[in-house]
Amino acid sequence: MSQIDALPSPPRQYGHLNSVLICLSAVMLGASWLLDIVSVAPNRIVAGTYYGLVAAIGWPGALLVSLLFIAMGGLAIRPSRLHYYAQLCIVTLILLLMPFGLMVAGHWLIDPALPQARLGIGAAYWVVLFLLLLCLVEVRLRLQLSRLWTALLLSSVGVAWLLCTALWLENLALVQEFQARDQQFYRAMLQHVVLVGIAVSVSIVVGLVLAMLMRRYQRLQRIAFAWLNFLQTIPSLALFGLLLAPLAWLAANVPVLAQLGVSGIGATPALMALIAYSLLPMVRNTYIALDEVDPETLDAAKAMGMRPYQRFWQVRFPLALPILLEGVRITAVQAIGLTAVAALIGAGGLGTFIFQGLGQAAMDMVLLGALPILVLALIVDASLGALADTLRPGGHK
Amino acid sequence: MIELSHVSKHFGADTAVDDISLHVAKGKFCALVGSSGCGKSTTLRMINRLIEHSSGDIIIDGQAIGHYDPVKLRRRIGYAIQSTGLFPHWTVAHNIGLVPRLLKWPAADVKARVEELMRLLGLPTEEFAHKYPHQLSGGQAQRVGVARALAADPDILLMDEPFGALDPITREKLQDELAKLQARLHKTVVFVTHDMDEALKLADHLVVMREGRIVQQGAPLALLQAPADPFVESLLGGLERGLKQAALTRVKDHMSSLGQTLPAQSRIPGDFSLRQALSMMLRDHCDRLTVVDQHDMPMGELSLRKVVKEAQLDKVSHRDA
Repeated sequence: MSQIDALPSPPRQYGHLNSVLICLSAVMLGASWLLDIVSVAPNRIVAGTYYGLVAAIGWPGALLVSLLFIAMGGLAIRPSRLHYYAQLCIVTLILLLMPFGLMVAGHWLIDPALPQARLGIGAAYWVVLFLLLLCLVEVRLRLQLSRLWTALLLSSVGVAWLLCTALWLENLALVQEFQARDQQFYRAMLQHVVLVGIAVSVSIVVGLVLAMLMRRYQRLQRIAFAWLNFLQTIPSLALFGLLLAPLAWLAANVPVLAQLGVSGIGATPALMALIAYSLLPMVRNTYIALDEVDPETLDAAKAMGMRPYQRFWQVRFPLALPILLEGVRITAVQAIGLTAVAALIGAGGLGTFIFQGLGQAAMDMVLLGALPILVLALIVDASLGALADTLRPGGHK
Repeated sequence: MIELSHVSKHFGADTAVDDISLHVAKGKFCALVGSSGCGKSTTLRMINRLIEHSSGDIIIDGQAIGHYDPVKLRRRIGYAIQSTGLFPHWTVAHNIGLVPRLLKWPAADVKARVEELMRLLGLPTEEFAHKYPHQLSGGQAQRVGVARALAADPDILLMDEPFGALDPITREKLQDELAKLQARLHKTVVFVTHDMDEALKLADHLVVMREGRIVQQGAPLALLQAPADPFVESLLGGLERGLKQAALTRVKDHMSSLGQTLPAQSRIPGDFSLRQALSMMLRDHCDRLTVVDQHDMPMGELSLRKVVKEAQLDKVSHRDA
């Protein structure tokens, strides 16, 4: 989301037709009528039956939703500050209503006599969810709301959803997959976070040291970037595979390493590969961040009588910090995604559900792995982005 | 006191500064003037060892600068530059207090000194202390830059075109303030500029440089009266030289006592320059002005005829003395 945030905000003028919001509302309206909202399957394996809007939430619900979409579009014809606030309310309202829609659909479509029956989420539901988030970004930019405000809004919506799912949505397929393996889920979540945390912290330290060495020795700079670029081109799956043989050999021949938990599969090769991938964005951003500090400022620091270490820690480093954090953000988001692949070599993490689900053709289980990864990435992305913003010289600009 | 004798600086095969000798007495204001690339900034930066000189001697307070630890040397020399070089992540107060902090002054002393300097440079503490450099106008930022240079009360102040990036009005205002400040503080100043008017206005000692060499140096009036070559003459304004000279002379020094005749209608304070007096004569179509003191009491008379004659005879100015 913050890639979109990083774009220059559109000019603050109201009164002109906002075609973005009109298009988004039209597509949401179309999608909700033409695509499937939910699917119902009698058990986990059998393909489900798909239902549209009216079948899922009845005529009153369908009309209410359509009216909300039309109101969204209508308000965008002559936008004003007030209209944008109204649209913000509508977006929030729809987001809050979405789990209730599923509840209603579950209540009507699922035969209570079939305890195995499960409710799947259909294409229209995902499309509307995605487009609503786009609407939120657009309205946020127009109203120039801060990131914090939007984050608060989204997290309160998230809490409402979690409550609904926990209390009333037990026949949702996703929830059933979760309830069948909740202990496993928490463990996988923890493994995922720990793997990412270690990989990112190691690459921050190594990246900083390497970038500082590269600033001192220009020859090292070319060699190091050549190597890091090369590492980045190896497909992740191949890198995991390549590490298998040498590490297995090491574990077999050096008992100390084996005692430390080194083996061909598991967390060790996963961490090594994750760190290898994290180094390039980390080193590149750190190097650029340190290099781009205004030379006049550093010259002034020298002329004032600051010693080299004082110039580095009091001037160069703090001025480089926002760009450096940008590197941490990119690295962390990338590592969260890559760690999913690490499940293939037995490192655990949320990827386990994705690959198990793929193997069993159980899409809901894939979602159980993929959705938390997505949410994790968004949270890390937003919070590190906000941190970099507050650390910009002189606070908020 | 700063003394440069036969100082040169070579960058590879290029010679940036070529055998210059220069003496700046304690408490004097020395301006280095020349077009860009003439070596004036290099000369300045050699004094606080931002650039090491290749040959010759640079002596500060009787000791060659090679004897000082460069870091300690820089802490006792104030330095202000055109881009201000303020640290964008620090507040105004934090920027100004840098050198005292480096010198490990007690926090209370640093705070008191910062407040004193902000007062001295016309920056109200409550309004500016917590602002960041990007919230300041060019003139305000430059004041902070000068305050930072003065923070540890150094004897020597190096200034590299500090007002070069400002608009003419702000520049003039800051020049006036710097002149007043210098009259109070008596620092030994080396000031680099390419603006001859600025140099004439501020300097006790003017050094004209060209291609790494000193072409001419001396008191501003001496240079105006006898430029060494056509280059110095063109730098001094060619045909406008006469007016520039007049700008350096005060009305008081050329007035005659009130005569028997009726006092002239137009009045001019004695501290104004001869240039302003001439301008007033042109404006009011007269050839005599009544000179008044600060209480607007007549104390003499200025006549155009006498001024023109005297300018011819006046070989040694009051500034030379």
